[in-house]
Amino acid sequence: MNFHASSKPLPKMVEAFDHPAGSVALSKRGGASGWRGKLLHIHIAPSASYEMEELSEAECVAGRGIVGDRYYFGSGTYSPKPDVREVTLIEQEALDALSRNDPPLQDGPIVLEPCDHRRNLTVIGVPLNHLVGRRFRVGEIILRGGRLNFPCKYLEELLGKPVYLPLYNRSGLNCGIERGGIIRPGDTVELLEQ
Amino acid sequence: MTARVIMKLRVFMARHTTADVLHLTLTHPIRPELPEWTAGAHVDLRLQDGRIRQYSLCGDPSDRSKYEIAVKLEALGRGGSKWIHENLKEGAIAHVSAPRNNLPISAAAERHILVAGGIGITPFLSMAKTFKSQGKNFIRPYCALAPQRAPLFSSLLDICGPRLQCWFSNSGPRFKPELIGHYSPTTHVYVCGPERLLDSVKTHLADWPEEQVHGEIFQATLDENFKAEPFEVTIASSGQRLVVPADKSLLDVLRESGWALPSSCGLGLCGSCECSYRDGVVIHRDKVLPISRRQDRMMPCVSRARVAVTLDL
Repeated sequence: MNFHASSKPLPKMVEAFDHPAGSVALSKRGGASGWRGKLLHIHIAPSASYEMEELSEAECVAGRGIVGDRYYFGSGTYSPKPDVREVTLIEQEALDALSRNDPPLQDGPIVLEPCDHRRNLTVIGVPLNHLVGRRFRVGEIILRGGRLNFPCKYLEELLGKPVYLPLYNRSGLNCGIERGGIIRPGDTVELLEQ
Repeated sequence: MTARVIMKLRVFMARHTTADVLHLTLTHPIRPELPEWTAGAHVDLRLQDGRIRQYSLCGDPSDRSKYEIAVKLEALGRGGSKWIHENLKEGAIAHVSAPRNNLPISAAAERHILVAGGIGITPFLSMAKTFKSQGKNFIRPYCALAPQRAPLFSSLLDICGPRLQCWFSNSGPRFKPELIGHYSPTTHVYVCGPERLLDSVKTHLADWPEEQVHGEIFQATLDENFKAEPFEVTIASSGQRLVVPADKSLLDVLRESGWALPSSCGLGLCGSCECSYRDGVVIHRDKVLPISRRQDRMMPCVSRARVAVTLDL
């Protein structure tokens, strides 16, 4: 049974370095370098609102996204709006901070599992907020940081947890795929030359 | 609008409680606990073609390991129950939303009267379990064709014992709304079943405050006098103009132009697709939006507009 057959047009993606945020950052120097991080988890959801499913490897297609994901199919909640949504990443460090209620913006700790946050890739040791307008590799694929991710009320409703405020400014990174390929948990994440 | 996560649940058990009612027990293939719910809640079940049907949860709200629903085969229905009966065998995967409760138990009430007809019994199984565990005062009239055709009758009898009052419409006296008794400010009445049952109870209790009479129906409203007319919709954020022809819903037209609005029942019952509007005369045809919010909110699955409307999208 195919519940996700889509007759929708292909999603309109904005090239990461054409995005207003990415294009400005591209011309600015700076940001953290010399770090080396790791891909922990890969998740996709077949359609808007569906639970995320963990993958042991994923095929990434340049200009499209992760095969099987809602933004690859154009069936995501925000698919009608042209944007940088081929791949989204979030830092494990941000999730860890939430689980410690740091900073104490809500009643108590919020445990956000990798399958709950609805970003595709959970990474550790990767300073995502420094990667707008930057190229970096995840295993064999090359990503371009297009814009910072922004928390949405939709996620709060879906999870029934007050994550909007605590995710502010550490909600992750929306990327375009410059070079596609296969990625797996454990892959190295590294900054590349511009 | 409340977004709800959709899960791929496994059919752990599928058995017929009567010839035409399929009782499904659903579990999560990975997670030990399902999203929590309270008595009276329903889930959306997605059919293969993307259509959605809503079913009340009839299990025990304190048991987070599984959801239970009962699906009556509607031979003359729109095809959803037939698809479910034919496809959701044990081991199959069902696409099910997290629960939503449009028929919650009132915390203010001291006495609860449940009126169920036919398959409308399902939300009351969970409500009766909750009342019993809390030691609350409840009684429930029940209407059905015959004991052997009454879905989940024995389960209900187990929970309610002698408290269960039944009116079987093919024998003996029939249920009459008068049986509900006199008004009391601490009594709440809950009705679930065919629309005519809901209508007869609501008519009888017309003098009662609206908030003391609760009802839920999961079926399309047939309004033979309504004739849909085409109208134009303007999207406030972009200025885009779209035409909604007479034979399409506003929701359909929005979706065709790429707006992935959440929606569920497509019947104006669940409230998922609610959106804001301005500058227009809206013809509200839903059954969920309170009158107080109709000045600027609408349900695009069934509601339309006279000539033109501007949506806050």
